[in-house]
Amino acid sequence: MTNRSINNVLSRSILTTVIITLLLSSSILHFSDAAASSSMHTNNWAVLVCTSRFWFNYRHMANTLSLYRTVKRLGIPDERIILMLADDMACNARNKYPAQVFNNENHRLNLYGDNVEVDYRGYEVTVENFLRVLTGRHENAVPRSKRLLSDEGSHILLYMTGHGGDEFLKFQDSEELQSHDLADAVKQMKEKRRFKELLIMVDTCQAATLFSQLHSPGVLAIGSSMKGENSYSHHLDSDVGVSVVDRFTFYTLAFFERLNMYDNASLSSLFSSFNPNLLLSTAYYRTDLYQEQVEKVPVTNFFGSVMKTIHTDSAYRAVSGKDRSRVKSDVSSAQSDDVDAQRMTGSDPERQVDHSDIKVVKGGGCPHADLWNAIVEKFQGVKNVDQIVNYGLVGMLTLVAVSTWQSS
Amino acid sequence: MARCLFILIIILLLFTLHVSSEEEFTEELLFRPLPDRKVLSHFHFESKVPPTTVYGHHHRLFPKAIYQLVHKYRIKEMELSFTQGRWNYDSWGGFDPISSSNAKPPGVELWAVFDVPPDQVDTSWKNLTHTLSGLFCASINFLESSTTYSAPDWSFRSLSGNLRYGSLPREAVCTENLTPWLKLLPCRDKSGLSSLMNRPSIYSGFYHSQRLHLTSDEFDPVALHGIVLEQTLTIVIQPDALETHAAFSSSRKLQPSWSMSSLFGKTVDGKCALAKSSNVYVQLEGGLVYNMKDTWNNIEGNDGEIVQEVPYEVSPDRMMKEINSFHKDGYSILYGFSINNYHSSKPFDLGFWWKLPVTWSCVKAPLRVSRFLMGSGNEKGAIALSLQSTEWSQSLLKADNNIEKCNLRMYVDGISQSLGDIIEKMSVSPSEDKVSPGVMEMVLRLPCDMKSASLTLEFDKGFLHIDEYPPDANQGFDIPSAIISYPDFQTRLQYKLDNASIKSPMVSKMQERRTILSYTEVLLVPLTTPDFSMPYNVITITCTVFALYFGSLLNALRRRVGEEERLLKSKDKSTGKLQLLLSKMFAKLRGKPWEPPSTPPPPSSSSKFISSKVILKIILIAAIAFGWQYYDG
Repeated sequence: MTNRSINNVLSRSILTTVIITLLLSSSILHFSDAAASSSMHTNNWAVLVCTSRFWFNYRHMANTLSLYRTVKRLGIPDERIILMLADDMACNARNKYPAQVFNNENHRLNLYGDNVEVDYRGYEVTVENFLRVLTGRHENAVPRSKRLLSDEGSHILLYMTGHGGDEFLKFQDSEELQSHDLADAVKQMKEKRRFKELLIMVDTCQAATLFSQLHSPGVLAIGSSMKGENSYSHHLDSDVGVSVVDRFTFYTLAFFERLNMYDNASLSSLFSSFNPNLLLSTAYYRTDLYQEQVEKVPVTNFFGSVMKTIHTDSAYRAVSGKDRSRVKSDVSSAQSDDVDAQRMTGSDPERQVDHSDIKVVKGGGCPHADLWNAIVEKFQGVKNVDQIVNYGLVGMLTLVAVSTWQSS
Repeated sequence: MARCLFILIIILLLFTLHVSSEEEFTEELLFRPLPDRKVLSHFHFESKVPPTTVYGHHHRLFPKAIYQLVHKYRIKEMELSFTQGRWNYDSWGGFDPISSSNAKPPGVELWAVFDVPPDQVDTSWKNLTHTLSGLFCASINFLESSTTYSAPDWSFRSLSGNLRYGSLPREAVCTENLTPWLKLLPCRDKSGLSSLMNRPSIYSGFYHSQRLHLTSDEFDPVALHGIVLEQTLTIVIQPDALETHAAFSSSRKLQPSWSMSSLFGKTVDGKCALAKSSNVYVQLEGGLVYNMKDTWNNIEGNDGEIVQEVPYEVSPDRMMKEINSFHKDGYSILYGFSINNYHSSKPFDLGFWWKLPVTWSCVKAPLRVSRFLMGSGNEKGAIALSLQSTEWSQSLLKADNNIEKCNLRMYVDGISQSLGDIIEKMSVSPSEDKVSPGVMEMVLRLPCDMKSASLTLEFDKGFLHIDEYPPDANQGFDIPSAIISYPDFQTRLQYKLDNASIKSPMVSKMQERRTILSYTEVLLVPLTTPDFSMPYNVITITCTVFALYFGSLLNALRRRVGEEERLLKSKDKSTGKLQLLLSKMFAKLRGKPWEPPSTPPPPSSSSKFISSKVILKIILIAAIAFGWQYYDG
C-alpha cells in the first residue's frame, strides 16, 4: 500500500513537472515564434536596372538581362522582379539578331528568351521612377506589376549598371543618381519597413563611391570598382559589333552558373571569387551595416527565392498552425498599420524627441562629459595662458616635494 | 423514383441551356502570298464570354485580366496595337478587310470607347493607359498626358464623344509585349497555332503588328454578346526559297516556295485542346487566281483546276470562292485546313510550291497618300500631304483626314490655295502648349477626274520646357500618322460557304462591311535642342567671376598695410638666435654669403598651449624634479 501510494505520489509529481515543463516550453516556443514572426524572411524581390541608352551600351542591357535570367532561374518569379531597361536593344534596328540578346560571343544563350517581362523601359527609366519604385510612392493609377510590393521580411537584390563616377550614376545620359539619393531612398525603405535585408550590387566605374553615404542597417553592398578605378567590358562580339558584357558581371555570372537553387554557397565565397587581375579593378564589399556573418549567409538569400519549409507531422496541426499564423500576421499588420498611422499623424513629435535626445547628451546625461565640458569651457575662457602654466608648475613642484618627503 | 427523375430532367435542361451560351475560343491562321515575293501570315484568336447577367463571374477560358479591365473602366470598345515596320499599301494591298483592319501605324496605337458620363472619360482613359502599360510591358502610360491623346469627331469611327485616341510612334515593340499578349490565350504558346510563334522569325520580318480588339455590350440594357476579345498578329516575312521541282526554278521571276516550317522553323503539333475550332487558311487573291489561269492556259492548254497547279503537301479540307467580287477579272479563293486530326506524332506542316512564274497586283486603296516634311531651318516648317489617285478611285470620293501633332504651332493658311473647293467640312483645334495636341480633321470631296491633290500646312517650331525634352532629343520628335478613311468605300469579301456548319470568326469578319482606313507615314521633325550643359557652364563662370571680384574686394578692404609691415618687423626680431646661427652655418658650408631670412617664419600654431615657452618651462621643471630625485635618492 505504502509503496503504491509513494509510487502514486511520485508519478503524480512527475506528471505535474512534465506538464509544467511542457507548458513552459510551449509558451517559450510560442514566444520565440512571435518574436521571430516580426523579422522572418518572407519573400525575395529583385530590382534590376540598366540605366544606359543607345546601342553602344548594349553590354549594360546584357548585364541586366543576365542577372534577370539568373534570379529567375534561382527561383524569383517574374511578378517579384522589377526590370528597368533604358533602351530597346533586342528589337533595335542595329541588332543583327532580332529579339535576341547575347552576353557571350558563342551565342549559346539567348538572354531575351521567350518570356521576358520588362516593367519600365525607354523613357520611363528615370531617377524619379527609380526612387519611386524603391520608396513605394506611386500615383494611384500605377499598376501592381510596376511596384515593389515588399514587406519587412523581404530580401531585396538591387542591381544597377551603367555609367558612373565619383558618387553618382548616370541615367540615360541626362540625369544622375547621387550616393545621397540612394542612401536617402534606402533609409526611407528601412523606415517604411520595406525590407529586411538589401543587397546592392553596382557595376559601374567607381562603383564603391555610390555606397559611401549608406547608413541603414541590413544593407550589404558590392561594387565592381574602387574610387578612381574603371570597370571594363569583358569582350567584344564582332557579329553584334559591340562589347557584350562587363567584366564584373561576367565573373559574377560565372560564379552563379555553377549553382542551383539548393546550393549553399555563401556570400563570402562570391566575394572571394572576384579576382582583381581578371576584373582589372578591385571589387568592393561593404559589410559593416550587415549584422549577420557573411560566411554563413547563402547567396540564394538574395539571388534566389528559397523558402524555409516547416515540416509538420499531421494535416490537422498544419491547419491550426496556419490559422494561428494568419491571426498573428493580422495582428502584426494591424500593429504596423498603427505605427504607420502614428508616423503619418505625428511626424512632428518624433522630431521633437530627436531634438530632446541631443539636449540630453549636451545637458548632462553623462557626468564625465559634463565635467570635461566645464573644464574645456573654462580653459577657453581664460586668456592669460602663461599664468595657468605657471600655477601648474608651482603645483607640480609642491607635489614633487610632498612625494619625496613622504617617500623619504 | 419519379421525383428523382424529375430532378434529373431539370438538370439536363439546365445543362442544355448552358451549352448554348458557353465561353468560346477559336484559333485561326491565314497565309497569303504577296506580289513582292513575301508572305503574309495572319494569326487570329477569338475569345468570347457571355454577358455576366447570364453567365456569372466565373470563367474557364476568358482571360480574367481583360474581364476586370472591361468592368473597371466600363469599356464598350477598345483597340490596342503594337506595330513595327510600315504596311506597304502599294504592293500588299489597301482595300481588302485584312489590310484595312490590320495595317496599323508604327509604335503603339490605342483607342477606346467608354460607357461613362462625358466628364469622366478622361479619368477613365488615364487609368486605362496605366493599367495597359502594366499589362503589356509598354510605356502606354505616356498617353495619359492630355497633349498625347485626342477625341476625333468624324474620321475615326462615327461614334459619340466617348472615344479617345492616342498613339506613341516611337514605342519599341518586342518579345516583352508579345509575352503578356500570349498569356491571354488559354493555351499560351504551348500548343495549337500559337506554338508557331518563334520570336526571332516574327521580329526579323518586314512588318509585324500585334493587335487586341475588345468589344463588349456588358453595360447595355440588353446584353446579347458579352465580351468578345479578338487578338491578331499580322506578319510579313520574306521566305527563304525552298527547293522547287519545277522547270522554272532557275527563273528569277518564280516566287519563292515556302512552308510553315521554313517560315517559322516549327510545325503545329495539333490544335489547342481548349479551342472550339482550329483552322489554317490559304488565301489567293483575285488577281493571282486570274493570272494563274492565264499562264496555265497559255502553257499547258488545259483548263485544269488551280489546285493542281498549286500543290500542297496536305490537301485542303474545303475551298471557298468569292462571290460578288470587286475585282472584275477574278475571284479570290480561300482554302481551309482543319488541324483537328493532327497530333505530335503527325504534325501539321503546310507547304506552298510555285511551279510557274506569276505576276499580279493587289487591290490598292482608293488613294495613294503620302505625307512629308518641307522647309528647312529651326524656326518654321510645313507638312505636305499628297493624295494621288490609283486605278480604283474612279467614283466620287470622300476622304477624312486626321492629322495630329504635338508641340508645333500650326497655321492652316496654306490649304485654301491648293484645295479650295473640295473641302466639305473642316475642324481644327490648334495645339496648346502642355494642354492639348493640335488636331485637324477635314472632309474632302474629290472630283472623279482628279489625278492628284496636295495639302500644305505651315507650322512654327516651339520650344519645350527643359524638363520635357527626352534624353535623346537630338533625334527629333515624331508626329503620329494621319488617318485617312473612305466612308463611301466599303470593303467586304463574300465567300460562298460550302458548309454552313463550320463557323469561322475570321471569315465572318472578312464578310462584314467595313470602312476602309489607311495610315500615312510617321514624320520626324528635328527641333532645336538647347545645349543642356549651358546652365552648368553659366553657373561655373558666374561663380568664378563673383569669387574673384568679392575675394579681391574683401582683401582690399580688410588689409592694413602699415600694420602688416609692423608685424613683419616684429617677427623678424623674434626669430630665434639658434635659427640665425644655423642659417649662417649652412651658408658657410655652401660657401655663399649669408643673407638674412627674407620670408617671415610661418605664424606660430593656433593653439597657444603648446608654445615654445611652455615646453621650455616643462622641460625645466622636469629637469629640476629629476635633479631633486637624483640628489635626494
